[in-house]
Amino acid sequence: MTTEQPATPDGVRAGATLLDIQGLTKDFPGNRALDDVSLELRSGEIVAVVGHNGSGKSTLVKILAGVYTSDGGTVALRQDDPEAPTEIHIIHQDLGLASELNAIENISIPKYQGASAWVPFSGRRERDAAARLISRFGSPFDVTVPVGTLAPAQRSIIAIARALDGWKHPRNILILDEPTEALHASEVAVLFEAVKKLAADGAGVIFISHRLDEVVELADRIVVLRDGRKVADESSEGIDHDTLVSYVTGVAAGEAETGRAARATGEVVLDIENLTGADIEGIDLTIRAGEVVGVAGVLGSGREALPALVFGSIDASADRFELAGEPYLRRSPSESIRRGIGFVPGDRAKLGSVRPLTARENVTLPDLESLTSGVAGISARRERREVAGLIAKYEVRPPRQEQVFAQFSGGNQQKLVFAKWLRNDPKLLLLEEPTQGVDIGAKQALYGAIDDAAAAGAGVLVCSSEAKELVRLCDRVLVLRGGRVAAELAGGRLTETQLVKEGYGLADEGAQ
Amino acid sequence: MKKTEAITTVVDDAAGVSAGSSWRRRLSFQNISAIYLFILVFVIFSILVPGTFLTPGTWLGIFDAESLTVMAAIAVMIPLVAGVFNLAIGAEIAWAVMLVAVLQARWNVPFWIAILVTLACGALIGLISGLIITKLRIDSFIATLGMSSILLAAKWFISDNRQITGLDDGFREVARAGVTLAYNDQGNPTFKITLPVIVMIVVAFIVWYVLERIPAGRRMYAIGYNADGARLSGVKVQKIQIGTLMAGGVIAALAGVLLASKLNSGDPTVGPSMLLPALTAVFLGSTQFKGGRFNVWGTVLALYVLAVGIKGLQLLGASGWVEDLFYGVALIGAVALSRWEPTAKRLGAVKRATTFRWIRSEKPESAEESSTPSEPKA
Repeated sequence: MTTEQPATPDGVRAGATLLDIQGLTKDFPGNRALDDVSLELRSGEIVAVVGHNGSGKSTLVKILAGVYTSDGGTVALRQDDPEAPTEIHIIHQDLGLASELNAIENISIPKYQGASAWVPFSGRRERDAAARLISRFGSPFDVTVPVGTLAPAQRSIIAIARALDGWKHPRNILILDEPTEALHASEVAVLFEAVKKLAADGAGVIFISHRLDEVVELADRIVVLRDGRKVADESSEGIDHDTLVSYVTGVAAGEAETGRAARATGEVVLDIENLTGADIEGIDLTIRAGEVVGVAGVLGSGREALPALVFGSIDASADRFELAGEPYLRRSPSESIRRGIGFVPGDRAKLGSVRPLTARENVTLPDLESLTSGVAGISARRERREVAGLIAKYEVRPPRQEQVFAQFSGGNQQKLVFAKWLRNDPKLLLLEEPTQGVDIGAKQALYGAIDDAAAAGAGVLVCSSEAKELVRLCDRVLVLRGGRVAAELAGGRLTETQLVKEGYGLADEGAQ
Repeated sequence: MKKTEAITTVVDDAAGVSAGSSWRRRLSFQNISAIYLFILVFVIFSILVPGTFLTPGTWLGIFDAESLTVMAAIAVMIPLVAGVFNLAIGAEIAWAVMLVAVLQARWNVPFWIAILVTLACGALIGLISGLIITKLRIDSFIATLGMSSILLAAKWFISDNRQITGLDDGFREVARAGVTLAYNDQGNPTFKITLPVIVMIVVAFIVWYVLERIPAGRRMYAIGYNADGARLSGVKVQKIQIGTLMAGGVIAALAGVLLASKLNSGDPTVGPSMLLPALTAVFLGSTQFKGGRFNVWGTVLALYVLAVGIKGLQLLGASGWVEDLFYGVALIGAVALSRWEPTAKRLGAVKRATTFRWIRSEKPESAEESSTPSEPKA
């Protein structure tokens, strides 16, 4: 990797500053998302911004996109040439393409807006223009088929081509937000080729990612955010993986921060052989009563699919699937609940709750039978008493069970979701991102609830993108990569550093 | 820490205030606007047409005549609670009217068997609609619109679209039966609760019981608000949705049977016109009592308020088109009213139901959440 500034073709001064961020700060209630972050981007430069979930990457992008306004600091664009101002173009993770339309149409979407909407366009000229744009970034492909049928990398290139279409000069800024999440390794190479070409033409590129290995390969400079602060801003040359991991985690390499003391475990609650479905390509899993098993892995590794496969809300096959010693191969959510499985999904709003119903109605929804007696129907008094007990136990604020679920804060919503599943002492508790979007106080309370559930004899599966959380909660952690178990960490080897390394496939010694 | 305490105190205060003023909230215009509307309508017409508007005959007439429309509205409401539109309700009633008549007049089936067959057929129609919606995954709007047309064709097929007369003598007595509470000097009934009214009240009560008191009802609401979330809470979404359509189908068939009995014939023109009043009442009813949820008593109340308003206008001498105009305006008004809800409590049953799926934005709920303070990940 070279850090020298490539000369731009149209004679523009190489290395001119395109973007200058000084002391950027953003506060959310109870949480400072960005704290005095400064960043400079020069023409022809690729800067990678890395960090964990919640480190402030998304907040930074959203401020640059104008979604959020900052609470302090300045963002300045290149001013030297008022005739050709620098523009910021952002490609979000989902690319924002209309998958039923073809590449030509997708590239033209921005053009259809405004006064020109009524002017007929030339089909052939448009097609040639689209093909030309795309061929700038590697091998051409069919621009007339719906983009939904193209490979993910090709879709990324269409998004880049669209962002670039209509640039009056090359000295603009392109921000790519987690662009490689959906891509395979070979496709990543195609995308990187495109990005490098762009930078060689004089654009400034900010590349947001949490795949550390890729970043070192692509970027000229690496900026690491942690808890909203910039903790490193270094040339990618000579930076090694260990240093990068220690920047990201905040734990110095070699400094051990091991997992918790082993819990007493009992009978096998869950025993699965060769589970396959969605992103998972064959996983064996055993969980004992009282044991907390973590699942780590980057997005797309299968981490976020696993609990749904076990719960039965997504179809999956397995050679063997035993719950508390009984075979359970044909799964469905209702049957899983009947057999004593609880599932806290990662998407609280869409899957974990029914937001317009009250707290009480949400908590009792999975099991109304136990509150029902004969023709009298649901016993309102018993239901209220039971929910009041749970609300007190999990310290839900405000303690009002008739309040609509959506009106609680994130942390209290999640407490209610926990209350809903812990109400009937599940045998197996499946947790997906259990503390996503909750404040620090609620987080500790939820950790306590998970500890208690395990102590009460539940087997717990925790899938989380937060290494620190897994280290705090789990007896052992399975690290997934490409839908398979890449490593299993427990005891002294269960550290944040090791988890991050294994997750990114950076482990030096061949674990397992 | 200090901050948290302050917030808690404020919230506790708010709880105290709202508990103290719960009667004010219950009697607020927002909660029972239909009742205030009713009082307004009552006063206006009592002043304008006192001679005709204030007679018991007028009121019993409205009560009896609209009881079938109320049943149609309940039949629309049940699937709607579980997030399923049934635009075929008018056609289902039209089909039931014709089927129960044809069975008696053409095939000489005893009237009570004809009634049972018609009710069973109503359930079957609900089952078929339900399977189309859940198994073929066709939007309920489209599926029931198609079903409606199919049923009207079937009705025509069995009747040649002609008036069917010559029904069982016992059949015409069904809708005329009832409980007489008062007689005049000549011994003629002056205050009679007819069977359609009794059936309507019984149906409304059963549906209220199911929705409010047993698990199935709770699950229906959960599906209507968030089918995916309900499924992950163990709710059998498809089964319940099919069940609601079947229940609605039986109630629609019941309304059709009573309508045929009342008319003492199979009338090819009745039925479809009941859809609009029914939908209007359901949407207007959702703004009453239950903070934005579809509910039985709100629906019943809304329908009668609308009917009384129309009756008053007719007594004033308005022409026939006033009914269509009134319901059309009221439907749009009711939906607008329920979508324009200042409190998040009334987060949209109607909003959800009246936003077409294909123009609904990707994540309305989470987009809303992103504006809450809890959004940034800790």
